[in-house]
Amino acid sequence: MKTANENQEERQDQKARLRDADFSSISGRPLQPYYSREDLSDFDAETKLGAPGEYPYTRGIHPTMYRGRLWTMRQFAGMGTPSQTNQRYKFLLEKGQTGLSVAFDNPTLYGRDSDHPLAVGEVGKTGVAVDTTADMERLFHGIPLDKVSTSMTINAPAAWIFTMFLANAENQHIPFKGLRGTLQNDILKEYIAQKEWIFPPEPHLRLITDLMAFCADHVPQWNTISISGYHIREAGSTAAQELAFTLADGFTYVEHAIRAGLEIDDFAPRLSFFFNSHLDFFEEIAKLRAARRIWARRMKEKYHAKNPRSWLCRFHVQTAGCSLAAQQPEINVIRTALEALAGVLGGCQSLHTNSMDEALALPSEKAVEIALRTQQIIAFESGAANVMDPLGGSYYIEKLTDELEEEAEKYFHRIDELGGVVRAIEQGFCQREITRAAYEYQIALSRGRKVLVGVNRFVNEDEKLEIPVLEIDESVERDQVNDLHEIKQKRDNIAVGLRLKALEKAAAGTGNLIPHLLDCSRAYATEGEISDALIKVFGEYREQPFY
Amino acid sequence: MPAGRSIKPELWNEFFKGSRLACARLITKVENCPESIPEIRDKLIPLQKGAIRIGITGPPGVGKSTITAALARRALKAGHSVGVIAVDPSSPFTGGAFLGDRVRMQSLSGDQRIFIRSLASRDGQGGLSPSTPYAADILDAFGMDRIFIETVGVGQAELDVLTCADLILLVLQPGTGDIIQALKAGIFEVGDIFLVNKADLPGTECLLDSLRFLFEIRIRENKGSAPPILTASAIQDQGLDEVFAEMERQIHGLVQSGRYQERKRSRMEHEIKESILRNLWERFSRLTNAREEIQAISGRLLENRQSPYPYIRKTCAQIKMEFTNERSGCENGE
Amino acid sequence: MADPKIKVIIAKPGLDGHDRGVKVVARALVEAGMEVVYLGLQQTPQSIVQAAVEEDADVIGLSILSGSHMIHFKRVRELMNKSGLGDRLLTGGGIIPTKDQEKLKEMGIGRVFGPGEDIRDIVEYIKKTIQERRKAHHGF
Repeated sequence: MKTANENQEERQDQKARLRDADFSSISGRPLQPYYSREDLSDFDAETKLGAPGEYPYTRGIHPTMYRGRLWTMRQFAGMGTPSQTNQRYKFLLEKGQTGLSVAFDNPTLYGRDSDHPLAVGEVGKTGVAVDTTADMERLFHGIPLDKVSTSMTINAPAAWIFTMFLANAENQHIPFKGLRGTLQNDILKEYIAQKEWIFPPEPHLRLITDLMAFCADHVPQWNTISISGYHIREAGSTAAQELAFTLADGFTYVEHAIRAGLEIDDFAPRLSFFFNSHLDFFEEIAKLRAARRIWARRMKEKYHAKNPRSWLCRFHVQTAGCSLAAQQPEINVIRTALEALAGVLGGCQSLHTNSMDEALALPSEKAVEIALRTQQIIAFESGAANVMDPLGGSYYIEKLTDELEEEAEKYFHRIDELGGVVRAIEQGFCQREITRAAYEYQIALSRGRKVLVGVNRFVNEDEKLEIPVLEIDESVERDQVNDLHEIKQKRDNIAVGLRLKALEKAAAGTGNLIPHLLDCSRAYATEGEISDALIKVFGEYREQPFY
Repeated sequence: MPAGRSIKPELWNEFFKGSRLACARLITKVENCPESIPEIRDKLIPLQKGAIRIGITGPPGVGKSTITAALARRALKAGHSVGVIAVDPSSPFTGGAFLGDRVRMQSLSGDQRIFIRSLASRDGQGGLSPSTPYAADILDAFGMDRIFIETVGVGQAELDVLTCADLILLVLQPGTGDIIQALKAGIFEVGDIFLVNKADLPGTECLLDSLRFLFEIRIRENKGSAPPILTASAIQDQGLDEVFAEMERQIHGLVQSGRYQERKRSRMEHEIKESILRNLWERFSRLTNAREEIQAISGRLLENRQSPYPYIRKTCAQIKMEFTNERSGCENGE
Repeated sequence: MADPKIKVIIAKPGLDGHDRGVKVVARALVEAGMEVVYLGLQQTPQSIVQAAVEEDADVIGLSILSGSHMIHFKRVRELMNKSGLGDRLLTGGGIIPTKDQEKLKEMGIGRVFGPGEDIRDIVEYIKKTIQERRKAHHGF
């Protein structure tokens, strides 16, 4: 008896000769010519689908989804000095953006001040420079933080950058309870993919749990962590790896918080996720649906969360930066549009669309506007927001969703065998999987088995590749460093010294560190001073690279 | 440097003046032109300062590089100048090599008293590059007095470390109990210090037991005393002070007891024998077109299902060996 | 005698942690028969050149995505010249503005590779450059 696949292939062969092309997904998944009822013969819609807003949430986390409220159009932005970024935020809000997202520069991401030797040449280049609470004041000047939600993409020093944000809100007389937003704060994916760390895993995990506990009591509307797959995908992973490693990281944070004595229903509703939306349209939609189902099941059945809000895999999506090409950059707009549509059809809660030149430089105002308009066209013209989970019930999508779930489960099993995510990272398992997938994709591109229009096919021979100079002037670094030195002179240095000492002492103990970090921030301690104080207690992490 | 030509005097001058680049270029020379080895040995043996060569070996992934870095750091602190030779396997298919040990030692690289060099195993049997001993000689003459040689550690090749090292540290990790079966008995004869790394992982006690058991048998058969078995967690920088102390203790013992000299002598004996054999073989090959002939003969013998020994005997009998000159004074090495 | 192996140092100076590109390039070079010393992240120009001296490297390849390329390439080239590696190839890749590529060439830096370039081109470039250089030095 032939399988459905074999029947199909025979039929296809009989109909026509096939194109000389690779019909697998971008992740290398073999795909059938078409999918039918036979592929879902034992599919139980009750347990696998439910309705939108119903366990296991495959079809969406809300009963009304975009009819109730559209996804947040949240464009990531940051460059130069805090004042320059402040202008860009005001521009974006004017154009209809509904939430802010802060991009920080490399020194800030790594916990260093703008005058650190390793910061030379990097201040304000790939994001905004923040050294003290004074920079937060400039960054959000004139922006009502109780009306606009703010997402901050920062990980290793997230806890104290966040307390600088809080200190600024305090100065603006905005109660913490009114603040809404997200902190990325996902250290595990740093060890796996993005490589922005300061300490070894345990101290970082402690800071994360401390933050969860603090926010549960004091900043209840804040999403304390954005468990990320975006960067894992950007590092070259497949869709299944992105899905599996992200959720595995999530499980690890949950377990760690439970071990620290937190009640799952107190912190879980504030966990959120961040996924990539890559070129392979249907695979991405299926991946996002699978994510919701897997998370709901685990939270309910394994971790016994009782509050349905704890079962929700809420996520932000960003279109894939690594899919953008330098060649014929205008066509990146189309890539981004398709990727954004996949994110919407996959049910995201907020979305960032890349600008056409974003892979090369900080985006120009025009390019950012087009990116925002892309979302607006999808939301208001295409009809994609009118019906929830419109691809649900499609044989292909449901089969793909199932396959991704199965592949993720296999990875969970493997990671468990290795002793959990932290152990798997120490042994280089995740890193090696990603490196291999990245290499295989590169070879496929080299051989032309996978196509990037304008790069390895439909190339404009006479195209003069124009990689623009970053507009960031050298004066940015100079100005930022001057401001930093000025603050250090004006502030009460005795108070700073005392509070840093108190922080060190607390770090050596087991109490919650956030109140101490907040104290330091109020006194205008710098990010680097706080990092150094904690490094004294926690030590610095040295990577064991894996290939 | 072109093959066959001797090393330029300028390079030697630079080396003697202490140029790190000249030292590196000499090592490259030895990698690429085995013909230069005699000249290098001639010039450097008189200069050798008696550096101790410490071999660090073990299966892949046990943490050898981290341990080498930790021991090197302690040696520097104790006032030594340190050479590190890190060997990684060459791909048998592409000939290329990924030399990734150095990255774990980069934090040491600012210090002028340390010289780190990566070598690809090239034609070595997967464990030790043929130029490793000579690279060690070069570093010795350059002034390094502790030379760590870190090998790939893939089975039989670990024994190759013998030819080069004065002291051998074998690193294992728990959870790989069958590694002991897999390793040839030979390595347990020559290991001077046994280290179980990642000792915070489960399976440590089990591995320690297996090791102690193995050594008990050895003692009972009167094959000497058991070597020290230590534990460490290199990533957490735990246990390495003890390893270093043991290492220094044994080095001291080696030198005091004369075993150090004996090992050196035995290595030189080996070098002389191997070099003469190689020289004879090469001259023989040139005389008779040996490679082609032997290749053809082997094919024929296999087809006809015949033994090669008649051929071997006949060929050897046809060789007349004679010294060309009086060999007086040879005992002095002239 | 076969051509001596080409030895390449691959490193990322500065703070940026995106290493997908360097790892892919490193592997491609190994597959092409070269010996690649991977130095990893957060390297300083000093540590990179020190390694190049000790490894007697033919090539140093830097990966810079963060906009700090002018500073880092310049510094590495200066240190190479000072350490006797003036005749070795300094190349690299990442996000390097077209205008700056001209400036880099004037500073004695080789071709730099941008996004979307074929890794085979990188391999060929290094092979050809080193072969030509060896011919020029030794006359064969």
